Amino acid sequence: MTPRRHPRRSKWFLPAFVLALGLVIFAAEGLGGHVSRGLQSLAIMAALALALLLGGRSDTVRGLRGDGRDERFAMIDLRATAVAGTAAIIAILGAWIVELARGHDGEPYRSLATLAGAAYLLAVAYLRWRG
Amino acid sequence: MAGTTVPRGHSRLVPATSTMKNMVAALRSTRGLSQGELAEAMGVSRQTINSIERGRYDPSLPLALALARFFATSVEALFDDTGHP
Repeated sequence: MTPRRHPRRSKWFLPAFVLALGLVIFAAEGLGGHVSRGLQSLAIMAALALALLLGGRSDTVRGLRGDGRDERFAMIDLRATAVAGTAAIIAILGAWIVELARGHDGEPYRSLATLAGAAYLLAVAYLRWRG
Repeated sequence: MAGTTVPRGHSRLVPATSTMKNMVAALRSTRGLSQGELAEAMGVSRQTINSIERGRYDPSLPLALALARFFATSVEALFDDTGHP
């Protein structure tokens, strides 16, 4: 048995994705009439994409990009994703409760919290079924 | 696990939060290999080998088996799960 090779992405994938996301944000800001704010967002995303592309000497950057990923980094990525998801859910729940206390209907936080809860339960059910 | 008995000759399961001692660094040194060379042979990063050697990361079963096979030994000889409560 040999160690399972983790699928490795091209080093261009994540920088290209970040840049594309920056362009989408710029387009959305432009449609909303905030071109200068959109340019700021695009500049930040382009700088991040460049840092990711040129940071190949760092194992952390290569792990994030996916071209230097192995089982340990895959586990780090999984845990970091769980931390980020937990932080986002706590923020959504907090904002929902604040909105309710202000006499509002809690949207869009109520829908986001429902989505997060449903996604979690479905994931647990699927992963448990898959074994 | 509280309340469970462990059959004689069997060690307790290592808690998921702890790591095991291992002989990877010693065996690698006797072979005159660098961490990078061992990492290349195993298909993982040098940092992963470093973390295993320092006891900060327990490898997956396939990687543990591959390491044991590489050093022509057994997983039990390579990794020590005794000494844990």
